Amino acid sequence: MKKSLFIAAVAAALLMSGCSQKKPEVDMTKQETTESSSGTTASTATEVDSGVNSVIGTEESASDITTLPEDERMAQIKELEASAKKIYFDFDKYNIRPDQEPRVDEDARLFASDAAKDLTIKIEGNCDEWGTDEYNYALGLRRAKSVRDALAIKGIDENRMVMVSYGESNPVCTEHTKECWAKNRRVEFKLLP
Amino acid sequence: MRYLIILFTGILLFASDATLEIVKSTDNRPSVAIQDASEFGDVRTRHKFFRIVMGDLKVTAHFKVDDTYRQSRYDAMIDPLLKESDYLFRYRFREDEQQRLYLDAKVFDIGSKSAVFERSYRVSNRARYPFLIHRAVIDFNDFLEMPSVDWMNRYVVFSQYSKPKSADIIISDYTLTYRKKIISGGLNIFPKWADRAQKGIYYTKLGNRPTLYYYNIYTGEERRVISSDGMLVCSDVSRDGNWLLLTMAPSGQPDIYRYNIKSGVKERLTFYSGIDVSAQFTGDERKVVFVSDRMGYPNIFLKKIGERAVEQLVYHGKNNNACSVHGKYVIYTSRESDNAFSSNTFNLYLVSTQSDYIRRLTASGVNQFPKFSIDGESVIYIKHYASQSALGIIRLNYNEGFLFPLRGHRIQSIDW
Repeated sequence: MKKSLFIAAVAAALLMSGCSQKKPEVDMTKQETTESSSGTTASTATEVDSGVNSVIGTEESASDITTLPEDERMAQIKELEASAKKIYFDFDKYNIRPDQEPRVDEDARLFASDAAKDLTIKIEGNCDEWGTDEYNYALGLRRAKSVRDALAIKGIDENRMVMVSYGESNPVCTEHTKECWAKNRRVEFKLLP
Repeated sequence: MRYLIILFTGILLFASDATLEIVKSTDNRPSVAIQDASEFGDVRTRHKFFRIVMGDLKVTAHFKVDDTYRQSRYDAMIDPLLKESDYLFRYRFREDEQQRLYLDAKVFDIGSKSAVFERSYRVSNRARYPFLIHRAVIDFNDFLEMPSVDWMNRYVVFSQYSKPKSADIIISDYTLTYRKKIISGGLNIFPKWADRAQKGIYYTKLGNRPTLYYYNIYTGEERRVISSDGMLVCSDVSRDGNWLLLTMAPSGQPDIYRYNIKSGVKERLTFYSGIDVSAQFTGDERKVVFVSDRMGYPNIFLKKIGERAVEQLVYHGKNNNACSVHGKYVIYTSRESDNAFSSNTFNLYLVSTQSDYIRRLTASGVNQFPKFSIDGESVIYIKHYASQSALGIIRLNYNEGFLFPLRGHRIQSIDW
């Protein structure tokens, strides 16, 4: 009985793997279409490691973060993200307050650290619920830009940073109180591999 | 006689400028009573239908509408108690075997005791009942040769937050009673009608990179228009549909661009280092009205396309952060309390690009998202007051406002 079950399971597995092979074929066709339309094909891909290939050495490795297994790496990124300080803003303002400067310094140190230096920094600007329409999204973006410019002055490469504004769409606090609105007027960070 | 002529001229001048408030001393509008003869729906449903019938008749601003809910048989004689009204608007909702919903409407001239107007309307899905009512009221209004209220039949498109970083795009009738979700999944914001016939919309999807899409609401065809880092919003569409006014921020700096749909060429229109947003065409589309913080606070400005000079349009308020433009008229929202610690009041004001008058349109609460109707005679907006929300309609030429209660999630943006 057990044996027949085993055989059935193997047969099912083979069948399934047979089926699953067909899907990538479809995807491959799609990819070829898009690639040929943009004028690039797999055969003309540029070799990027020829230079390093001719360097004489012994052991090759990359920084810790990229050699970690996927789950561990993501966990580490999440941990780094959580340790980044949020930057808070005054009502209707996008300049960095003096009391927030030390927090920007801490963020700059964190993003320059070995653990984070290869990551892209997504700077998210947020607002309280009081603005309407486009102006609030623009205000969120200017907050993100103020933080990006401050981080750039402190040595973070601008090419590592991308900005987005979520306007009033991403509140951390939904009560209608002044404390709550103050918590929502913030810039926070997402780190991307 | 000379004084009479001056007074008459004065009234004419006043009537031609919508920024001036019209105060009526007498009300000569015909009065209308309403009777429900429906065979469909429970008591709650029938009252819901009645509120829309009454609302539509009132929103025309062409009638004095009796608020009393009355019932009757559809073919009954006129109740003698209604003799004080000029017209009786009797309607009947009914459903056939295929569950199609019908509205029969019959209007009696009470003076002559005769039915002067009778029509039937049908929808295949009962959720669309508001359109039955809007159509019947438009036709009754046209029958009496009143100024057109065809705008009642137009769709409103709006974006509504469903959870953090997530918003759906919905089309609705002008009262936001009928709703149909057309775009969902992710943060879909700032919908804007792409053409005057309301066949398609532009909207922004805020993924890793803000992207503007065109979506045909009838065919479901969707195409990517343009992407930009930081921010991308379609603020206005030219009358012929070929030009868009966009807010883009390729380097984190929100500025206004004019974009040609056919050629894909974009032209930067503003160069200020702060915030420039919400541009809308005016002056034969050779000028734009926009919101900017170039004075240190958000306010409304005007500039000619292709010239660097910028003109301040509003000299009132310290926080005017949204506007809607129709021809020479601009409606803007003004925050009356400009700090984070007092109760917040946002009022709507109407100004003209060609005069210095300011007309206040609302008096209390938080009034946001003003949008002109296609004929510029009405304004739609959202009002929050004492933890309640409502959709507001202002009939500018009649100095009348109406509110329809709203439920549901917070609205992100609206276009009419």
